[in-house]
Amino acid sequence: MISAFEAALFVFVLTTALATALLRDILAVIIVFAAYSLGMALFYAFLLAPDVAMTEAAIGAGVTTLLLLLALVKTSRPDLDYWLERPNISALVVFGALLVVIISTLGEFPAVGTADAPIWENPAVTQYYIENAYSDTHVTNAVTSVLAGYRGFDTFGEAVVVFAAGIATLLVLHREVFTRE
Amino acid sequence: MSSADSSSGDSLGDATSTYIESQVIMVTVRVIAPFSLTYGLFLMFHGSGSPGGSFQGGAIIGATVLMIAFAFGIEPTRDWIQNRTLVALATGGVTTFAMIGLIPLALGGNFLEYEMYKEEFGIKAKWGLEAIEIGGVAPIVASVVVGLFFLLAAGTMQDSVSEEVSGDE
Repeated sequence: MISAFEAALFVFVLTTALATALLRDILAVIIVFAAYSLGMALFYAFLLAPDVAMTEAAIGAGVTTLLLLLALVKTSRPDLDYWLERPNISALVVFGALLVVIISTLGEFPAVGTADAPIWENPAVTQYYIENAYSDTHVTNAVTSVLAGYRGFDTFGEAVVVFAAGIATLLVLHREVFTRE
Repeated sequence: MSSADSSSGDSLGDATSTYIESQVIMVTVRVIAPFSLTYGLFLMFHGSGSPGGSFQGGAIIGATVLMIAFAFGIEPTRDWIQNRTLVALATGGVTTFAMIGLIPLALGGNFLEYEMYKEEFGIKAKWGLEAIEIGGVAPIVASVVVGLFFLLAAGTMQDSVSEEVSGDE
């Protein structure tokens, strides 16, 4: 059974997501989108994924919002003759069909934290990490042991991707320095 | 407010027009920044024992710098953080990660095989993992987040291209 806090959070996330899609003023959209990210971060924390929650709060709500605001300063805010996006009938039909498909699958999801969730049906993988992560890597956080130990090569690729993003931005903007010499 | 004269586009090249000094924001950031920086460093150094890790820690450290720039002006913050600091953190992070991965390979093991450090140098395997977290991922993420922000901001400040475009109109 969901608590009042969960229900309120669910309504908040849904409202901000709808507002992000429907509002036309870009500044309002950026602010509402930041609120949506904050709501999602709380959701992740509630679903016992604190690592994802921290990333969502720092990158989604914080850094992305500031980058979008800077981009807004760089461009212009056009005059608005109406507040809300006008609905596009064909897009609404596709959206409605997708919504029906997604809602029809909701009943098949296992409850949060149940022991008979499908993820436990493959103990060769999950149980291995839980049982051997400490003896293999000597760190108590199993997530870190997977990221930096078992999947260290993938993490190296991800780190290089982040580095490449910085270099690519320098190239696109025709600059040689991030700040000043 | 700005939508009325958006067609002129004359204020886009001016740094002062984008910065509004606010006592509330400055005092708030002054109080929050030490805590968020400490929290970022904690996540970075304590990622192997508690939720979070160097990616989250690096992102929060970068976001703290963005917060300071937002409150006290992008221009002074940009002068405060030198380019060579960001470049050293980003390239140093990739180099550190690659070196820690390649040294076991050179000794006949696999990429990032931390056990090799224990066999060859007597260094605990855990410290190899900590080294790529603290010396690799966190500096890359923090410096790239800050770098992207300043790069985007530089477009708004000393932007010769937009001035030329608006001058032609």
